[in-house]
Amino acid sequence: MRLPPSFIVAHKELLSSLRDRQTALYTFVLPLVLYPGVFWLMVQGMLVLQGQREHTAVRVGLTAEVPAELDAELAQALGGGRGGSVDGARPEGIDILEVERDPSPRSLEEARSWAREEKEGQPRFDAVLHRDDPAAPEAHTQVLYDSSRSRSELARDRLLPRLEAFVERLRVRAARERDVDPRRLQPLRIEEAPITPRRDIGALILSSILPILLVVMAVMGAFFPAVDLAAGEKERRTAETTLLLPLPRSTVLHGKILAVTSTAVVAVALNLFAIGLSAEHLMSMLTGGAAQASFELPLLALLAVAPLAILFAFFVSAVLTAVAGLAATFKEGQALLGPVQMVFILPAMIGVIPGLVLSPGWALVPVVNVVLAFRSLLRGEPLYLEYALCSAALLVYALAAVRAAVWILSREEVALAGATLSPRRLFTLLRGRDSRS
Amino acid sequence: MIPAIETRALRKTFQDPERGRVEAVRGLDLQCHRGEIFGLLGPNGAGKTTTLRILAGILGATSGEARIDGVDVTVDSLEVRRRIGFLSANTGLYPRLTARETLEYFARLHGLEGEALTRAVEKVIAAFDIAPFQDGRCEGLSTGQRQRVSIARAVLHDPPVLILDEPTTGLDILASSDMIDFIESRRAEGTCVLFSTHILSEAERLCDRIGIIHQGRMLAAGSLAELRERTGAEWLEEVFRRLVEEAAA
Repeated sequence: MRLPPSFIVAHKELLSSLRDRQTALYTFVLPLVLYPGVFWLMVQGMLVLQGQREHTAVRVGLTAEVPAELDAELAQALGGGRGGSVDGARPEGIDILEVERDPSPRSLEEARSWAREEKEGQPRFDAVLHRDDPAAPEAHTQVLYDSSRSRSELARDRLLPRLEAFVERLRVRAARERDVDPRRLQPLRIEEAPITPRRDIGALILSSILPILLVVMAVMGAFFPAVDLAAGEKERRTAETTLLLPLPRSTVLHGKILAVTSTAVVAVALNLFAIGLSAEHLMSMLTGGAAQASFELPLLALLAVAPLAILFAFFVSAVLTAVAGLAATFKEGQALLGPVQMVFILPAMIGVIPGLVLSPGWALVPVVNVVLAFRSLLRGEPLYLEYALCSAALLVYALAAVRAAVWILSREEVALAGATLSPRRLFTLLRGRDSRS
Repeated sequence: MIPAIETRALRKTFQDPERGRVEAVRGLDLQCHRGEIFGLLGPNGAGKTTTLRILAGILGATSGEARIDGVDVTVDSLEVRRRIGFLSANTGLYPRLTARETLEYFARLHGLEGEALTRAVEKVIAAFDIAPFQDGRCEGLSTGQRQRVSIARAVLHDPPVLILDEPTTGLDILASSDMIDFIESRRAEGTCVLFSTHILSEAERLCDRIGIIHQGRMLAAGSLAELRERTGAEWLEEVFRRLVEEAAA
């Protein structure tokens, strides 16, 4: 059977398209290998985090408007037994809940202030449990927690099931004493009460979105200038003109990387500015004007983020310029940088996993460190050692990337290549086995 | 007197992904002096461009020596690039810069600033009649206009040595004629001009001495009269043919 001409054309186009390595990479290799691999890594990461969460001890304050004997029982129920402690006893095991009881009466407002108290620069409690005067109408037992802190949310998550179990015990006991149906009794009304200011909720949401956006913006901002200044120069036949400049090649390449960095930084700054202008309005539209959060771009936090953002843009620019320099044309440069973008964007996704915090170890992991540091800075967390480590690590990575870029792109085989270097050829060059001199 | 350009046993080999090991230049000896036009004559793939690129510090030599004004190209290629003007089909202009911006950029990197920079730029703009299109982006210029800006770029810093790789290739008759006039004018100013070509009439008209290069080797070098005498041929084309056959025998 003779195929219609359009099918013959389609067959030829498909064949040539699938013979293109980049197309094959994006069509087959990425879906089949990369993404499952990344998801597997993310699951492993989450399991590690889960383990870390289980071993994190949280501290809860217990107070009441009218202290009663019940409080001691409640404290025992929450902090007693395996994984708990009451009033300073040494806890053991996992899911630890340390309970500190305040015997003096406190109003709800006083309890809220207590929940915000700090000790040595850190929050004194991760959550506070406040019991209203039981004689008051609509009396509640409120779990006061800060939704912008993962430890506080962890404390809430540990408190609630224990509270429910305690209430159930009370209900059964009271029903037995009064000989009534337990379902008719409600000894304690439990209520979650976030104490996070609207502004902090806004900062929390922004700190979840902005870090990954910053990474994407930096990568996108550097992408086209890197291709244009490296591969585009060969395509335009100006590479040799540049080699004739009375400057060391390293100086020329530093200039190029600086130009790419500048574009990336400007792209990041403009995007942030635009987000700052539109975030409040957009969120208000999305929530029908009932937003629980206030989206003000925290200028001071952004100023603190700026040096890290610049270092990261520098790192990204050096890597992208080095890779783009291996291509002989603009189009091939774009194709080469496609997968490289993912090298930055996928680790950035790991960095926004809830509960993952900037630690000295994470501060050394490229890309993830930037996302975590951005997030912590936007939330105003005082992790000075981690920020310093992150900055130092970024600087080292950026300088190493610049050095690698200069080393690779200064080679005449790369600088004057008439065709894109295959990975095999590049490997041969890097191993110095090429007889060319 | 130190030759303006000198190579001794210059050799360049490289690994081509398709052709394997290629010996582009095989022990080339060459000398050119100030106020002299030396033509490097040979077919495509003879090693002309590679030799010129080594002399300009764009490529490194595998072995041998290459000197410009006594400066070793492998030791101080920066100083070499300050002393030469280089032009080839591959030294394109930055398309998004204007003609004037291009000239100012190169002048600045050659260490000129302030009035000296303005003077140097104005001088070449006037010399090559660039003024009418000086503020036009290079991507929008005609081939002839681009050629003028390229020449101006190459001589802006008044180099004592000019290296031109097939300078008339791709030019129309008028532009080629302008280029030939320019090369002759540089000789009159005492510049050493080394240029490669495969256009025999150009070499005959311009060159004080001619080097015949084939498969990376200098088969013979001398004035046209000397080459005629050595081969017994009248025309340069015949001279070239006999030398190539002699080498193959």
